[in-house]
Amino acid sequence: MAAGVAAWLPFARAAAIGWMPVASAPMPTPPPDNRRKQDGLILLNVSGQKFQTWRNTLERYPDTLLGSTEREFFFHEETNEYFFDRDPDIFRYILNFYRTGKLHYPRQECISAYDEELAFFGIIPEIIGDCCYEEYKDRRRENQERIQDDEDSENQNDMVPPDMTFRETMWRAFENPHTSTMALVFYYVTGFFIAVSVMANVVETVPCGTLPNRVKQVSCGERYALAFFCLDTACVMIFTVEYLLRLMAAPSRWNFIKSVMSVIDVVAIMPYYIGLVMTDNEDVSGAFVTLRVFRVFRIFKFSRHSAGLRILGYTLKSCASELGFLLFSLTMAIIIFATVMFYAEKGSSASKFTSIPAAFWYTIVTMTTLGYGDMVPKTIVGKIVGSVCSLSGVLVIALPVPVIVSNFSRIYHQSQRADKRRAQKKTKLGRIAARKSGGTNAYLQYKSNEVTASKAAGQALVCKANPMFDTHHNHLLHCLEKTTNHEFVDEQTFETSLLEVSMAKHPPHSPSLSSGSSSQGLSCCSRRNKRKSFNVPNSNMTGGHRNSIQELSTIHIRERPITNSRSSLNAKFEETVPLNCKQPYITAAIITLPMPPVTRPEDDGSASSPDYSQANIVRVSAL
Amino acid sequence: MSSCRKRCKREMFKFAQYLYRLVTGTLHADSVEDELELSAVRHRPEGLEQLEALTRFNRKELQILYRGFKNECPSGVVNEDTFKDIYSQFFPQGDASTYAHFLFNAFDTDKDGSVSFEDFVMGLSILLRGSVQEKLNWAFNLYDINKDGYITKEEMLDIMKAIYDMMGKCTYPLLKDDTPRQHVEIFFQKMDKNKDGVVTIDEFIDCCQNDENIMRSMQLFDNVI
Repeated sequence: MAAGVAAWLPFARAAAIGWMPVASAPMPTPPPDNRRKQDGLILLNVSGQKFQTWRNTLERYPDTLLGSTEREFFFHEETNEYFFDRDPDIFRYILNFYRTGKLHYPRQECISAYDEELAFFGIIPEIIGDCCYEEYKDRRRENQERIQDDEDSENQNDMVPPDMTFRETMWRAFENPHTSTMALVFYYVTGFFIAVSVMANVVETVPCGTLPNRVKQVSCGERYALAFFCLDTACVMIFTVEYLLRLMAAPSRWNFIKSVMSVIDVVAIMPYYIGLVMTDNEDVSGAFVTLRVFRVFRIFKFSRHSAGLRILGYTLKSCASELGFLLFSLTMAIIIFATVMFYAEKGSSASKFTSIPAAFWYTIVTMTTLGYGDMVPKTIVGKIVGSVCSLSGVLVIALPVPVIVSNFSRIYHQSQRADKRRAQKKTKLGRIAARKSGGTNAYLQYKSNEVTASKAAGQALVCKANPMFDTHHNHLLHCLEKTTNHEFVDEQTFETSLLEVSMAKHPPHSPSLSSGSSSQGLSCCSRRNKRKSFNVPNSNMTGGHRNSIQELSTIHIRERPITNSRSSLNAKFEETVPLNCKQPYITAAIITLPMPPVTRPEDDGSASSPDYSQANIVRVSAL
Repeated sequence: MSSCRKRCKREMFKFAQYLYRLVTGTLHADSVEDELELSAVRHRPEGLEQLEALTRFNRKELQILYRGFKNECPSGVVNEDTFKDIYSQFFPQGDASTYAHFLFNAFDTDKDGSVSFEDFVMGLSILLRGSVQEKLNWAFNLYDINKDGYITKEEMLDIMKAIYDMMGKCTYPLLKDDTPRQHVEIFFQKMDKNKDGVVTIDEFIDCCQNDENIMRSMQLFDNVI
């Protein structure tokens, strides 16, 4: 809860007078107000710079150094002030946190110095306000990464840990080629062979002069077929061996097979094997030739060797929607202009625009400002449309391209930051929820503390750890409970009670059990028993009838301790008795309809409960 | 017919303006509303002596109160949203905004939509230092939403629902939908002596003064400040 709100607690408590006339139960007594001492100024001397503030301001956060008795260690008798030998510039922000409840992070300060000061004064960095939190986290992460990088580069120069298996060594060699000489050699050899293979594919098709008894030019591939075949075989063998080795060494084979690089590897070597299998059949040779085109995919194997290619691939992937939109708008423009062109040129004779799809080619060539000139409009209307087409081509194509280029870097950084922010948001929501539940848990804790405390006779109700604010706040929440005659419970209890309500809708199994549930005894003090039964599994009896929470109308008051077969089951039941006697509240008119619990084995022993229920329970209707 | 023509002319003028701005590239008109935001609301309260005379707090208490007030609302006034925000922080489990709305109306005696420090401290003076009669008066004022001198069942139901909303969902026993209504029935049975369906201020004060619990609980928060 923000410190500033603490100042409004007196107002909230005063406003609680509005509940009094409608309250259905008397209010609990307020906690003793021992804040009698005057609110004085405190002098803080931080390395010579003097700060002053009210004592109450510092005590808003009792779990920090300045707010707790820990500051007494720094008290300097001679000058009657608290002296801290720390950085005064950063201390300013810390003191402002006490004053305003918000912790800010100064951009000009070093992140580690700031962290040290926070740690010294006992303030957790998670409470930095939203305005500065992102900056803080960014700087912190950069710092961590830098430290991590330094450590990593140190690690890589270390010796390989001796207990790595051969498989792990191999995988490490494949992933980081500069770890060992063997890996480096392998890396360069494969790189060389990829280059050789690609060059061979290219040179194969170059015309190599004529054969002695032929006229036609013949490609080198056909002239030196055997040589090229040997070269191809060698390359493919190397690639196959490499692929198999990687497959063997991979820590997770399925993941490796799914990865892009492995697919590229397979596509690169498949054509060769398919070619081996297929005979020189005329029918399928056409398809076979197409298959050889896939050999060019070997060039993609270079991306293992080049980080830049990988980054390009990744950014293309992340800009896919941008590219898709560009394509879509282009298609729209092409169709529009092609249609108009076709109808404009329909009239002219010997027009090349024979159909709209034929006009597509013209539109694309014109819009990309290529202008081959194989198709030109002849009519005046066609020429006008053609000029509009080329002008708009500049707009449609040339403009989005730089935007996409800048989108690349922006989207790349943005996606990283979006993930960061999502993770931060999750933790922030978690913090807020924790704080909320902390608030309610604190209250429930306070109530259970009250119960356990009142057992030990005369024990002080408020334990030292609770600051005054929490006590008063808890008392306020208690008053609200009394007004409405309902109690705050935590999530799990609420869930269980919901379940039991739905369970207990079944018809009664046995009448003897029906009144057993009424022994729930829902006086307000025994409700506290019930609370105890949830938190501390003492009273099995009330616990056993947990599942019969129903519409509650009258509150039963237990007048004497229940003598019931169950009491033997729970020796500790007697402790709850003093509570009953202490607070004989007459509570509001809420009638309990005793609903039977679901049959449970332990319920069988409650034969005597009907007698007790009639005898001990007094129905009281208040007001 | 003439209004139609006028409207037509106005639209055409606007369109011409739009075309002009389109051509010259100044399509985004500078909004005049931005300037208004600069003049935020500032409020300075009456002097300490006047407040001392108006309320039953002494100087020290007024100083403490004002410091807390100004800390949370540096502009010197609380508007309804801030008020709801602050009040909701005390009741994390439920939804305190409806009750905060009624409370705000009870504090905002001059009905200007904001609670200044004077309103705040005068309300507190009644609640913490007033006689039981005055406190009951204040409570009646809170329940009487339309300030007509009568509390009807509907008004009471609204207030009751607001109070139960503050409890939230996770309560024991489970909150039923008609629990507030039942509570209102009980209240009216007790308070409405002549059974005319409304509670007047005299019936209210009478009945409360005869109730031990209520009288005792009124004194509960006297030493809050």
